[in-house]
Amino acid sequence: MKKTVKKEALIALIENLMKDHEVVSPVETAGKGVFYRKIDKAKDVYLGPAFAVEPVKKFFLHPSEWICGCNKEEGTASPCPVPADDKKRVIFGVRPCEARGLVLLDKIFAPDDPAGYQDTSYIDNRSRSVIVGLACSVPDRTCFCVSLDGSPVETRGMDAVLFDMGDNFIVEILTEKGKSILGSLPGTIDAGSEKALEAAKEKTKKLVVKTVKAPDSLDASFKSDYWKKVSLSCLSCGVCTYLCPTCHCFDLVEEERKKLRCYDGCAFPDFTLETSGENPRPTKKERYRQRVFHKFDYFKKNFGENLCVGCGRCIRFCPVKIDISEVAAGAPIK
Amino acid sequence: MIEEIRQKAKELLAASKVDMVIGYRRSGDGVSTVPAFIDSAQDVDSLVWDQNCVYNLANYLREFPGKKIGVVAKGCDARAIVVLLQENQLERENLFIIGVECGVTDISEKCAACPRTVSAICDILIKEKGRKSGAPGNEKDAYAAVEALEARRAEERLGLWREEFSRCIRCYACRQVCPMCYCPKCVADQTMPAWFSKATSLEGNFAWNVTRAFHLAGRCVDCGECERACPVGIPLRDLNKKLEKEAKELYKYEAGSSVEAKPLFASYDKDDPKDFIK
Repeated sequence: MKKTVKKEALIALIENLMKDHEVVSPVETAGKGVFYRKIDKAKDVYLGPAFAVEPVKKFFLHPSEWICGCNKEEGTASPCPVPADDKKRVIFGVRPCEARGLVLLDKIFAPDDPAGYQDTSYIDNRSRSVIVGLACSVPDRTCFCVSLDGSPVETRGMDAVLFDMGDNFIVEILTEKGKSILGSLPGTIDAGSEKALEAAKEKTKKLVVKTVKAPDSLDASFKSDYWKKVSLSCLSCGVCTYLCPTCHCFDLVEEERKKLRCYDGCAFPDFTLETSGENPRPTKKERYRQRVFHKFDYFKKNFGENLCVGCGRCIRFCPVKIDISEVAAGAPIK
Repeated sequence: MIEEIRQKAKELLAASKVDMVIGYRRSGDGVSTVPAFIDSAQDVDSLVWDQNCVYNLANYLREFPGKKIGVVAKGCDARAIVVLLQENQLERENLFIIGVECGVTDISEKCAACPRTVSAICDILIKEKGRKSGAPGNEKDAYAAVEALEARRAEERLGLWREEFSRCIRCYACRQVCPMCYCPKCVADQTMPAWFSKATSLEGNFAWNVTRAFHLAGRCVDCGECERACPVGIPLRDLNKKLEKEAKELYKYEAGSSVEAKPLFASYDKDDPKDFIK
C-alpha cells in the first residue's frame, strides 16, 4: 500500500509517536556526520541523502551488551537478571543495505529453524522494533549494492519505506507492523506519482556504478601469498568491522561482576588470541584473509549468500582506503 | 616531483640498496591513494605523489625488522621517524629516507595548519618545483584551536569532551594509525588487570582517549593521522596539540626535531619547572 505524504505530516506523526515509543533516527551532527540517535524532538530527524556513519546494526547487536551477572553478597554469587528493555521502538531512515544486513544477521541470531541458536537479546531487539526504511536517492561512489544482489531502492527487512520525492514522501507500507505505525497517515497515491516513483527508482539504480565480481569460492586462493600482499597496508584497526552492517564477531569480557558481550573485529591483533598465547591467525595476512573469506566464501557456503551488502562503509572509512571489492575480485582462484 | 621519486626508488631497488620502497599508489577509485609496498624496480611506475598522499608511512617501518627499507617521507613522516629512532625502534642504517617537500598548492585538510613541510631527516630531499617561499600553515594558526579551548571554563571543556567521547566506538583507528602507538600490549587490551572498561561507556571512552593523549605527550609529531582516521570525528588533535604546547612552553621540547635529543620523558634537569606539581 502506497501513499503520498507531505513531509510535515510525517514529522507530526513522529512527534505523536514519541509519546509511547522510543524513536530512533539518523541525526545530523555538525561537522561530524550523521549518527543514529534516540530522538526527543521530531525536528531532529534527518532523512536527507547523507549516510549514517555507523549502521543501524548497533541497535540490534549492541557494541557492548550486558548478558549476565551476579549480585554482590558476602559469600554468595546469586545470578542477577539483566534489565530488559521492551519499550516499543520505531527506527526511521534505515537504508536498504542496512536493512538487508539485518536480514543476513537474522540467519545467525534468529534462524527460522527453532532448533538453531536463538539469541534472546537480538530477537527482543528485533521484535520490539519497527523499521521504516529510506530508499537511497544519491548513492556514494563507494556503494556497490547492485552487484551483490541488492538495490538502493529495495525493501527487504523493512516494515515500511519512504521514497523522497522532493516536497513529499511516498510511503509504502510493507508489513502489519509498518501499518500499525504509518497506517494512520492520510493520503493516497495517483497514477502520475506511481509512474514518477518507478522512474526515480530506475534512475537511482543506475547511479550505483561500483561493482564487485566476487568469485563463487575463494578456496583455491587460501594459501596464496596474495593475502600477504593485500594486507600489507592494513593497520589492524576496527573501522571496517565495527562499521560493517553485517560483521558480528564478539568477545566476552567481565567487568564488575557483569559479563559483557563486546564487538570484536578480525583485524585486531588479539582477535582469536588464545589463553595459552597461541594465535591461529598470528599476522595481518591471516586476519585480513579471514574478513574477506567470511564475507565472500564461508557465509556463502553456510547460507547461500555473501555476507556483504555493498554499503561501502569499510572503503569510505578505512584510514588507508583498502577496497574489499577490489581485493575479493582479485583473489587468485585458478 | 613524482619522476624524481620513481627514479630514486628504481635506483635503490635496482642496486639492491633497499629490499622495499614504501610510497603511495593510486587506489581503484582513481582519486585516493593507498600505501604501496614496492619490491621490484619494474613496479616503481605505480608510485604517485599528490595531495592525497596523507598517510604517515613511518607507521609501517617497524613491521620489517632486518630489512632495508626506502620510504617516501613528508615532513610529518620524517618527524615520526626521528622519534622512532630516538626510542630505538628503528635502525638508521636500514632506512633510506626519500624526503619530499609537501604542500605547494593543493594541500589536504589535515595539513592546513602545518608549519613544517621539509623532512627533519632524510637521505635525499625531493623539492617541489616552483615552490613559493613559506609553509602552508603557520605556528600561530597551529595553536588557535587549543587556545580557544583553554579560554573556556573547565566545566565547559568537560561538557565538550563528554559530547565528543560519547561518539567513540573504540575501533582504535587512532592507535593503529599512529606511528608512536607501538606498545606490544596496549593498556586498552590488557585484561589482567583490565585498566579500564572495554565497554563503549563514557567512562571507558574517557579513560582510553585521555590515556592515549598522555602517552603521546612529548612524542606526538602532530601528523594529524588520528583525527583524520577517526570515523566519528573526535578532534583528537586538539588533545595532542595541548600537550605539544605544554612540552614546548615548559621544556622547549619539540618532538621529532632531533635524533640526538633525549626523549622528553627520559630527560631530567634540576631546573625543570615544577609549578604544575601540586
